This record gives sequence, C-alpha cells and structure tokens, in this order.
Amino acid sequence: MRKKTFIILGVMVALAVVATLTLAHTAQAVSVEQAIAQTPKGMEKGQLNMDAQPGFLGIPGAPQPFWFYGLLWAIWVGWIFSTVGAFGGIMAGVGHITIFGLADFGRAFKKTSPMLNKLITDSIRVSNQWMVGLSALISSTNYYRMGRIVLPLGLFLAGGSVLGAFLIPVLTAGKIKLSAYIGYFGLCVFAIAFVLFYDTTEKGQAGKKAAKAAAKAFEESVRAKDPAATGVELSGTKITSFSLTRVTFTFFGVEFSFNPLWPIIGGFFIAALAAFLGIGGGFLYVPFLTSVAGLPMYIVAGTSAVAVLVGMIISIFSYMVIKGVPVYWPLIGAELVGIFIGSIVGPYTSKYIPDIWLKRLFVILAIYVGLRYTTKGFLGYSIVPPF
Amino acid sequence: MEMPAFFRMLDPFLIWFYRITGYAWVDFFLGTLVLALIAVILGELTISLAFLAVKKHIDQNTEDTVRYQNLSVDAIAAKDKQAYSAANKLANEAFGKSFFHQIALSAAFLWPIPFALAWMQYRFLEVDFPIPFTGYSVGYIAVFLPVYVAAYYLFKRVKYRLPFFRRMKVILDSYENQAKEMKTFADLETRPGKPADAP
Repeated sequence: MRKKTFIILGVMVALAVVATLTLAHTAQAVSVEQAIAQTPKGMEKGQLNMDAQPGFLGIPGAPQPFWFYGLLWAIWVGWIFSTVGAFGGIMAGVGHITIFGLADFGRAFKKTSPMLNKLITDSIRVSNQWMVGLSALISSTNYYRMGRIVLPLGLFLAGGSVLGAFLIPVLTAGKIKLSAYIGYFGLCVFAIAFVLFYDTTEKGQAGKKAAKAAAKAFEESVRAKDPAATGVELSGTKITSFSLTRVTFTFFGVEFSFNPLWPIIGGFFIAALAAFLGIGGGFLYVPFLTSVAGLPMYIVAGTSAVAVLVGMIISIFSYMVIKGVPVYWPLIGAELVGIFIGSIVGPYTSKYIPDIWLKRLFVILAIYVGLRYTTKGFLGYSIVPPF
Repeated sequence: MEMPAFFRMLDPFLIWFYRITGYAWVDFFLGTLVLALIAVILGELTISLAFLAVKKHIDQNTEDTVRYQNLSVDAIAAKDKQAYSAANKLANEAFGKSFFHQIALSAAFLWPIPFALAWMQYRFLEVDFPIPFTGYSVGYIAVFLPVYVAAYYLFKRVKYRLPFFRRMKVILDSYENQAKEMKTFADLETRPGKPADAP
C-alpha cells in the first residue's frame, strides 16, 4: 500500500511536470540582466546607480543581504520550529521581506521599473518555497515511516493543489506587484496570529485538557483490558458508501465520512494561496480539513504534508525552470545554518520559557508584522513604527 | 555576476576537480560529484554533532509521540472513538513538535547544498544542458541535484567504516529499536479478529 502510494505520487508529480512543460512554454519571466537594462539609470529614487556595489542578485545598489543578518534571523526561525512547532515558513518569509531590506528596495521601482519590482517579488517567493519545500520533504518522509499517509484523500487534495500550485505561478509570475504581495502576506500572518492566539486562550487550553483527561481515562481502562482481545472484526480503511457528495468509510471499525468536493476545492484554494505567497500552507490544510471537512486528524496531518510537498515541487519547478526566477543561494545557505543553530538552542531555552509564553511572544510579533505588512501593502504606509 | 571573496577563496580548489581528464563533459560530472560529496560529508558531520547536542530533548519528544500514538491505536482497536480522537490529538501535537524539531535539525544536513549551488551559479550559470527530444534545456541545478543524491548513496556505503560515524551508528541503532516499539495502524491488520488472519 505504501509503495503504491509513492508510485502514484511519483506519477502525479511527473504528470504535473510534463503538463507544466507542455502548457507553459510561452510564458517566460525576464532575466536579471533584462530587468536591469530596462530600469532608468541615475542617482534618483527609482533609478539604478550603475556605479554602486552589486547587491542582491547582482543588482547595482541593491541591499547586500548580509549573511550574518540572515543567520541571526534564521536562528529565531529554528528556535520557533524547535519549540512552538509550525509557522517556520511564514517566519522565513518575514525575514525575506523585512529583515534584508529587499521590500523597500523593490518598492522604489514600483513606477519606474515594474519589471525589476516583480522580479524581486518572484525571487522572494521562490526563496521561501525552497525553505518550505525542504521541510515538507522531511515531514512527508517522517509521516510515511509512521504509516500516516492515506491515499484516497491525498489524491483528492493533491488533485486540487496541483492545479492551484501550477496555475498561480504561471498566471501571476511577473504580474504581482510587490506592495500587493506584502499586503496579502500581512493578512496571512494575521490569520496565523489568530490560530495561535486561540491555542493560548482558556478555550483552546481547555480542549487540550479535555483530550488529556479522555486519553488518560482510556489509558487506565486499557491496562485493565487488552483491546486486541475485544474480538471485534478489524480492517483498515473500508469505503462503505460513495457518492458525488459524500464518501463514508470505516477506519478500523469506526465510521468517518467526508464530502469529496471539499478536499478538491480546499486543496485548490490553499495551494493557490500558498504558491502565491510562497508559503507551505500546512497550517491551513490541517484546520480546514479537520474543521470544515470534519476529517480525523490522523488522516489529515500526514496527507496534508504530502500535499504541501507536491505543491511546493510544482511551484518551485514552474517558477525556476519555466519562469527562470533567480535565487540568491548564499542567503539560503546562511539561513539553513541559522535554523540548525536555532534548533539546538530551542530545547535548552524551553526549560526556562514555557511553550505557552513562546506562543504568546509569537502572537505579538505576528500581529505587529501583520499590521505593518497589510497597511504598507494596501495603504502604502505602515500604521506601526517604523512608518 | 562577480564572485564574493568567500567563494573566490574556495574557487581554485573546487575548480581543480573540473579539470582532471580534459574532457569537458566528464570533467563537469566528476567535478560536480566531488562537490556533492563534500556537501554530503559536511552535512553528515554537522547533523551528527547537532543530534548529539539535543539528544535528550529528542528522547523526550519521541517518548511522548510513541505513548500517545500507541494509545490511539489501542483506542481505535477498542472502537472507542472519543478516546481515539483525544489520544490522536495529543499524538499529533507531540508528533508535530518532534518532527518540526527534526525539520529544523535537518538544516544541519542540508546547509552545504545552497553554498555548493551558489558557487556553481557563479561558475556555470550560462551552461545549458539540452533535454533530448524536447527543445528544452536545464541548468546547473538540474545536474547538481541528481549527482548529490548519487553522492549521498555512495557515501552511505562507506560511512560506517569511518570511526566517528561508526560510533554514531551505535547510538542511532538504539533509536531504530525504539521506533519499532511504536504501533502503527497497520499493526491492527495482524491482530486477532482480522478476516485475513482467520483460517
């Protein structure tokens, strides 16, 4: 079954790559050289000073994303990863936009050289996706080893996500203005802040306490009675009824059902949003499928990791191979070094800072970043300092 | 694009491997294989050191994950949907923590790749490799990645002959045994009562 899952996923990725190659050959993003050539030269704002030191992507006068800043930011990302858990992609994205001054530099060319402005946007997106793609690869492998990937849902989800991940880069590469990208990114950060905040509220914590109590009660009853000796007839996932609007299946004797349209629609929109923003989307898949589609967590988590991976492979492929978007590699290298330093620091600090306080710290930061990006992106100025 | 000082320093050593035979194609693949091997060995070394540094934390995470995962398997076997949902929620949380930490740690293995690609970008950005019968061509990334995978498997074969990695294997093997203790839902297939087991 597992082998079959991976064969099917492999075929799916291959099909998507072929489809991308076949359909998208006419769409081609501009190269750095072309974008530089079409930008007005001079010392004014919105002009390129050709005598200035080459910086990001070799663009004269662009900020040189100093590896040390990248390293420091990534230590924070690694720290979040190893203590709070998810949201690493978003944090990496925040670094790519703000910390290195790329957004401000890119925005200066909004009117004078939209081509250069858009090239920088695409490069930030692909840089994020490389980071998220690598992490999705590792998490999918882990889920696979734990036997937590379920094929039927994966196919529905990946079907929608393949379409979204393929269409968005082709439709938007070279078309999205940096300011709009930052605005949408800000809204996304708000959504994360909300999810995480809920987790730290009394209600969120109460849910966890109830789960712990139920698990403990069961654990004690298990000690008294071996569940294997219940004599029930056990079988894996068994589809009991199938229609266009409802699939009912039993999972080792317990009944679950879902509407097959939901994973397709959700997969499409989440993957489209993820590709558009250059994030993984894992944090959206899980609540969507557990709350909206009403599926058990067991099925959702592993399968969504695969959907993220498939989506990322296709997005990166369409951006980099089809659209020729350049990536600033030394920065990603420095960031990976920082992430692993952070992942070592995290366990040591978690002894002194409880998880809930780390989450609250993260929520405050996310609200600040969300406010800043949303207002800067859509209004043109930030309502929180620095303005 | 002008090469930064860090890469200029490494350049004479790395490019030497691209000039061994005098045949352009052979040299390119040979040089890239050496570059990929360096990236693999550096990554293996740093991930081992990082792992040793946070072993205690990983042990705790793994213990929680195994406990709740096993409980959720038992709950579903007992057809207790409520206990299953509760245990599954906790198992997911513990597992989430564990694997996000592993993701962050895996950066210790992957970090040399972007540096290798950065150097290749300065050296081989203009080099195109045509894909036969398609009219498309790929760049240095498409060559480096499969060569890196090959280098990974090559090194895997000799890794445990080196004393440092042999010591690491002893530690890792103890984890393999622990992983076997974790029940998966597939285990239910072999439990009594399953039709396949019936005579």
